[in-house]
Amino acid sequence: MPPETQGPLTETVFYVLLALHSPLHGYGVMQYVDEITDGRTTIGPGTLYGALTTLAERGWIAPVEGDAGGRKKEYVITAAGRDAVETELVRLEELLRNGNRIARKGQQ
Amino acid sequence: MSTRIIHRLYWDFEKEELWLNEMAAKGLDLVRYRWGTYTFEQAEPGEWIYRIELLPESARKPASRRYLEFMADSGVQTVATYMSWVYFRKRAADGPFELYSDMDSRIAHYTRVLRLYGSLTTALVATTASSLHSVTLNGLNFFTLPLFVVQIAILVACAAYALRVAARVRSLKAQKQLFE
Repeated sequence: MPPETQGPLTETVFYVLLALHSPLHGYGVMQYVDEITDGRTTIGPGTLYGALTTLAERGWIAPVEGDAGGRKKEYVITAAGRDAVETELVRLEELLRNGNRIARKGQQ
Repeated sequence: MSTRIIHRLYWDFEKEELWLNEMAAKGLDLVRYRWGTYTFEQAEPGEWIYRIELLPESARKPASRRYLEFMADSGVQTVATYMSWVYFRKRAADGPFELYSDMDSRIAHYTRVLRLYGSLTTALVATTASSLHSVTLNGLNFFTLPLFVVQIAILVACAAYALRVAARVRSLKAQKQLFE
C-alpha cells in the first residue's frame, strides 16, 4: 500500500485494532472493549460489523486462517494495522503533550 | 402460551421500536411481523430489548444474511424481516442494546431511511398527481372523493416523516463537526 497521510482514527477503529492484538470474533471484541474502558465505550453490533468489514477491506485486520470450520469468524490485526495504531499513538501523544502544556499550564 | 395479534402501521420506525419495547416491558414479546400484523407472545416482562434496522438491501440477500449471522453470534436474535427491515431483540440481562455506537453509522442508517421515504414520497406525488388529473377531468363523486382525500393524507404523512428524518440527518452531521 502506498504511504498516505493518516487522519485521526475513530474511537471504534482504534479500540477494535487494540482488541484484535489477539484473535477474537465480533462478540469477543465488544466484550473486550467494554472491559478495558470500564464500560465507557460499548461498541454496538451494527457499528462493529461495519468497522470489521472496512478494516478487513483495508488490510488492517485479517480473518484467522484454518478456523476449523467454526461459523464465528475470528479476526486478527495485521502489520499494516499495527502501523496504523503506532501512527495514531504518536498523534495522541502530541495531543496530550500540547494539551498538558497549554490547558493545564502551571497545574502540574 | 397465549398469543396476541395486533394490526398497526407505522411510518416512524423509532416510534414503532418504542411501542415494541413498551409491549416487552409489559410481558408481550414480538415473535412475528408481517404486513402490519404484529404477533406477540405472553412472557416474562422486560426480558427482551427490541431494535429495528433498515438494511442496505433486502434481508434475503447474501450480504444481509451474513450480517444477520454475525448478529446471531453476538447474542442478537432476528425476530422478523420485512423487505429490508429487520426486527432484532436481545436479552435485557445482557446489558444495554444499541445497534450503533458512533455518529457515522447512525448518520448512514438515517440516510438509508431518508432515501426510502424520499423515493416513496416521489412515487406518491406521481400517483396523487395522476388522480388529480382524472379528478379535474371527471369531477369528484361519491367514490373518488374519499379515495382522493386518503391519497393526499398518505402523501402528506409520508412527506412529513421524510422531512423529519432529513432534519435528523442534518442535526447529526452538525454534531459531527464537534464530536465523533
